[in-house]
Formats: sequence, C-alpha cells, structure tokens
Amino acid sequence: MSDGFPIQIPDRLPVHIDPCPIVQAIFETRFVSPQPWATMPGLLFAQIREKYPEQKTLPMAQLPEELRRQDPALLILPLIQFLSDNFLIQLGPRVVSLVTRPNAYPGWSAIAQELNWLLERLKVAGFVGETERLSSRYIDFFGGDIFTALRLGLQINDQPLRGTQTDVTTILRRDAMSIRLQATNGAIVATKEGPTSGSVLDLDAWFGSLDVDLFGNGLARFAEAHHAIKGLFFGLIKPELLSKLNPTYE
Amino acid sequence: MTTLSLPTKSPAYTLEEGLREPAAASSVRRGAPDEWAREELLLRKLGPKGWGRVYQFRNYYESGWGDKGRVLSPRALDAFFRFLEEATFPAAKSTPSVFLTDRGGIELCWEDRNGKSMQVEFTGTGAEFYKAATDEEGSVAFDGLGQLSHRLSA
Repeated sequence: MSDGFPIQIPDRLPVHIDPCPIVQAIFETRFVSPQPWATMPGLLFAQIREKYPEQKTLPMAQLPEELRRQDPALLILPLIQFLSDNFLIQLGPRVVSLVTRPNAYPGWSAIAQELNWLLERLKVAGFVGETERLSSRYIDFFGGDIFTALRLGLQINDQPLRGTQTDVTTILRRDAMSIRLQATNGAIVATKEGPTSGSVLDLDAWFGSLDVDLFGNGLARFAEAHHAIKGLFFGLIKPELLSKLNPTYE
Repeated sequence: MTTLSLPTKSPAYTLEEGLREPAAASSVRRGAPDEWAREELLLRKLGPKGWGRVYQFRNYYESGWGDKGRVLSPRALDAFFRFLEEATFPAAKSTPSVFLTDRGGIELCWEDRNGKSMQVEFTGTGAEFYKAATDEEGSVAFDGLGQLSHRLSA
C-alpha cells in the first residue's frame, strides 16, 4: 500500500489453485476501423477458419444499428462469435475479444499463445485501425457469500453489512491501468449442474488508447493486465479462502 | 434517458432480481462506472451542449462521414480529455465549443479573457494550437498536453 493503492498485493503469488473459481476470462480490444462492419466478419473468418470453423451470430446483431447507437454500452458489444474447442473469438464493429470456454480456464500460457496467434491473424485481416482500449477481465464464482471471505465490503454505522444482497463496483487506478472491481453476493451462474446462485468477483483491467497499440505492445499489455488481476485477487481474499483453494507455489 | 434491455448474449452471470437495475426512470441515466468521470468532466467544463456533441462524435460519425471524414481517433479523444482535466476557461466568456475534424481529430475553441480566439486540435499524434492574441501556433506531443493546457487556459 506504500504507493497509495488500497489493496496490498502479496509478494508471492500461487501458480495454481484448485478448485479454480474462474468462470470465464475475456481478453478484449476496442478499436476504430476504416472498414465498414459488413466486411469485418469475412476478413477475420478468412484468417481464423482453420482453428475456428464454426460461427454464430449473436442476438444483438438483430437489433437495428440506429438503436445500438443510442447506447454506448451496446455499441461495443460483439455481434458474432467464432468457436473452437478451447476458446471463442467475439467480433463487433468496435470490438474483438478472445474468451475462454465457461468453467474451463486453460491457464495463462495457453491464453498467451492463443492471443499471440490471434494478433497475427488480426494484423493480416487488416481491419483494426487505432486501438481504443485493451483489457483483461476475469470472472470468478464462489458458492455462498464472498463478502465474508474478502478484505472488501460495505459498512453501515461502521459495521459490516452481512446477510443482505450486496453489489459493490468501484474503479481503481494504478499508473496507466484502470481496474473495475465488482463483487456481488447475489449472482446466478450457469454451471454444468444448471443455474447456481452465489457470489461473483469480476475484475476488469484495461489501458486507454494513449498507452496501448494492439500490434505494438498489445500482448505485453494483456499480460500486464492479467498479472494485475491475479495480484488483486490474491490481495483481496482472506487466508481462510486462500487455504480452501489449495494454492501451489513455484 | 435509460438504456434498453434486450437480450444481447449469454452473460457469464446475472444478478439476482433484487440487485438488478430498477425499472427505467426516464429522467435518470446511470453512467457506466468507467465512463462516469469523463462524462462529469465534459458536463462541468463544456456544459450539456459540449457533452452532447462529443457523444454524437463518438457514436454517430463513422469513417466516411461528410465526404471523406475519418472516424474520431481514440487517441485524439484521450488527449482531449487529458487537456480538459487541466483546463480552466474564463468564467465570463461563453462555454468552449467542440468540433470533429475531417482527419478524425477533435477541436476545442474558446475565447480568452480579452475575447481573442484560442483553438486546439487534438489528433492521433498530439495537439496543434493557435492563439489569436499573439498569433502563435504550434504543436505538442501527448506528454506536453498538461503544460499546454495550463499555458493556454490560464
């Protein structure tokens, strides 16, 4: 906390935890393009079809463009997915992302390898202009109330609020990186056993356009954001939860 | 102004009913957490008109707007916000105006205390400025924006 950052990041971070709480990890780039949207899916598919042969149009694509423009949050949503066994690639007029399969986190080295491949393919596809934002986002699920296991919570009259549905979102800054931290004990997640209620810790770390160039420092920035999220996760959880995750260290 | 809530895709999780957004209130628009600070800055320094124009430039002007206009450069926009954070405009004068330029830059124009024109265009590589009072023009890189802001808007 010496640099004013409110979360103490442990010096040593585990290399593996089991059970792994990661539901999904999303590595996203927002960009502007000189190309019209209509050409982008074809340009990308031509480059990735050998690994991502299946494609799926998302429901948002059915919404008229004029309606999507009325809400900035809709503008940056993907409209089409390309699927492989281990990952999804999502594409929209201003966004492209690599997403892990639900509840099947393959580990950072596999992700870094896939990101490297995808960046090469995107460069050849040639429709990504200037980078607007680059982020790594991790969504973790836990049974029960996460606020008893986090060094974070809501207080009323200086007393921790317990036993009520709570959703906390805040934005933290660390040098060039921004981090959106969301914790909720009222989440519903789809699992193999069906919808399950519990808690979610959702960490999204990103760089703005002045600090990132997808085809320059993009891979390094993804790794930096990933590392920051990992540090935050282990900085936020209390020792009791950490021990239940059976951490292993190098 | 509230957002519509059509199903977009299968999200990784949904919030339980009690934590979801309450029913739409037509007079309330909750800013996205990562955008709130910028929206507040725009409203404070440029007023509702400036806020609305930047919103239009970001969301409605695609590559090819007008004739050969380029889409708003994200770097130019970030540079614009960096400048705006540090800027102080004369209170007695009209609110600064903002424009989208053909090359995808964003231009800020205002009057100094003596009514003389000031212009700064933010681009994908930095900013170019013109100060009518001294007929001075020049350009700065991104790391010089704070200093330029203090110099021009003091």
